[in-house]
Amino acid sequence: MRIPLQPTTHAWWFAAGRLLATVVAGLLAGALLGSIWEGLACALAVHLTWQLVVLFRVEWWLRHRSFADPPDISGVWGEIVSQIVRLHRRKRFHKQRFVQLMRQLQSSTAALPDGVVILNPLHEIVWFNRMAGRLLDLRRSADLGLRIENLLREPEFARYLRLQDYASPVIIRRASRDDCYLSLQIVPYGDGQQLLLAADVSRQMRLEAVRRDFVANASHELRSPLTVIAGYLETLSQDPALDRDLAGPVAEMRRQAERMTAIIHDLLELSRLEQTGETVGGEAIDIAALLALLRKDVLARPVHPREVRVRIDSDAALIGVEAEIHSAFSNLVDNAAKYTPVEGSIEMRWWADEDGGHFSVTDTGIGIPSEHIPRLTERFYRVDQGRSRATGGSGLGLAIVKHVLQRHGAELEVRSAIGKGSAFTCHFPPQRVHAVRAAAAV
Amino acid sequence: METADLSHHISRRFNEDLERVRSKVLAMGGFVEQQLHKAITALTEGDSSLGESVALGDYQVNNMEVSIDEECSRILATRAPAAGDLRVIVAIIKTITDLERIGDEGEKIGYIASRLATMERPADKYREIKHLGRIVSEMVHDALDAFARMDAESALRVARQDRLVDEEYEAIQRQSITFMMEDPRTIRRALDVMWVVRALERIGDHAKNISEYVIYMVYGKDVRHTSLDDVERELRERAIPPGEPKPTVVP
Repeated sequence: MRIPLQPTTHAWWFAAGRLLATVVAGLLAGALLGSIWEGLACALAVHLTWQLVVLFRVEWWLRHRSFADPPDISGVWGEIVSQIVRLHRRKRFHKQRFVQLMRQLQSSTAALPDGVVILNPLHEIVWFNRMAGRLLDLRRSADLGLRIENLLREPEFARYLRLQDYASPVIIRRASRDDCYLSLQIVPYGDGQQLLLAADVSRQMRLEAVRRDFVANASHELRSPLTVIAGYLETLSQDPALDRDLAGPVAEMRRQAERMTAIIHDLLELSRLEQTGETVGGEAIDIAALLALLRKDVLARPVHPREVRVRIDSDAALIGVEAEIHSAFSNLVDNAAKYTPVEGSIEMRWWADEDGGHFSVTDTGIGIPSEHIPRLTERFYRVDQGRSRATGGSGLGLAIVKHVLQRHGAELEVRSAIGKGSAFTCHFPPQRVHAVRAAAAV
Repeated sequence: METADLSHHISRRFNEDLERVRSKVLAMGGFVEQQLHKAITALTEGDSSLGESVALGDYQVNNMEVSIDEECSRILATRAPAAGDLRVIVAIIKTITDLERIGDEGEKIGYIASRLATMERPADKYREIKHLGRIVSEMVHDALDAFARMDAESALRVARQDRLVDEEYEAIQRQSITFMMEDPRTIRRALDVMWVVRALERIGDHAKNISEYVIYMVYGKDVRHTSLDDVERELRERAIPPGEPKPTVVP
């Protein structure tokens, strides 16, 4: 194929020259035949006809899109044709590159082990990969344009979408299948677009359940033999005929047996809290009465800080499960009592504002180095090896606190300075706070 | 298929109203599905507290029904929908009634489950109920999927499933009678089990109803109380309309 490639100006000169030549020829022919105007008219008519023919060819060519075979035209029209061909080639090149890129992208997302769904701002499905189709029972092309929440109807997912807190994934149990757990997470991007990531976590959930059951069963099984051992040790230590050399070891054995009992008690409590993950309802708890009780417990310890204050700044009651809240608060107060010297002081405070209810325990104890604070609520985490064991802690107290607070939608805030003391604050959401005082106490 | 029709309105607000109320119905459906699943689990695992939580959660289903009902009345009054839109609203009003009934049956199962949990469990660990429960849950799930997708063919499949439920119901009934004759001490438990099976069978009927509303919504044909074979023939004759052009899809 030949594409005329004259520079534009040449083409224009050429066209102008041809028009001029035609006109001059017409004028000459007219002059010879005696009528200049008719000659001129004829010449212009010829020129126009020729132009029309060219225009027809170009239009025909464009209509039939036979880009591979451009018409062989000279002049301005030829220039236009060559421009169109060039444009078309460039477009085809970009298109091919785009398609190739798209294919690469698609094959890579399709190969992802996780499900990916692209949603528009209305949560309508725009695209999804094969794994998403399998995990979420989506149908290829038929489900495009449908709202995701209409197909994924699990109430947990609906709540996740409503709260729009996409920082962490939500785990749902597919009602349609047995024991299929999915972890779903929304990742917003671009202009209101959203990516829904889905992963099958059934295996993890099963393992988690096995682990929980194991801990619960093992603790339960350990409890009975330990009770026997502790019982005999108690009898033994009170036996006047006991060899004096053995009195020390027996007393130590008793202490350790007590510690083990405490650990098992806490393990059982933790696994019980874990079994039912949902946020609990509960009744109105009279915080003032509860704190008075906790204060008495601290003062009943053989060694306790001299000053234990209770400050009630709000007569609002807390809605929750009293046994659990008691366990959490008493763990916090126990810790404060353990790590505060006799000349120190502890303050328990309850107050409420528009952010909800707050309970804090402030002590003037030894404090916690800041690098340990984020890990305090891990099971058996020790700030330093000697610290908790010397005071007979199970290492599970703060884990219990964390779980109880989670179940009540609350958060734990820890502030501490070494040598000055620590402040543990529980923040309860407003819906957990009952404005009317339940019962007068203190 | 016809979902695209919902977006053809001049008034965008109307579309949004219609879509929102549809989503609400499906959200209610999702909650009911979960209630049903929990109720069956409570029974088969002997979890009395789960059973109780199902029974206590039923009020939420009722609240949703009332709220959707109100919204439908409002749409009828203010928008005066016609043709396909009217069918959608009518189908929704009927669907939520059936969903609410399913919720009630689930509540019943929850109550019985918490009572049965205190009794001795039979040797087969309610395997039959588990099986029937799975069929019924699937029916409810598929009926709601068909509702979401406006998919009349799937709806028809769900409606056909109902026969299977009826057969299963008969089988469990015969089995329970045998148990009762063999050992009269199990009569009390067997009666409770029959209540559960009956409830499941009713849920199957409600799921069938919902799928019939889907067919009505899509084709404008009331297929209640007609033989399903006739319905299928008719649907085939109508030469099911090809799917509307979908939003740009990368192949």
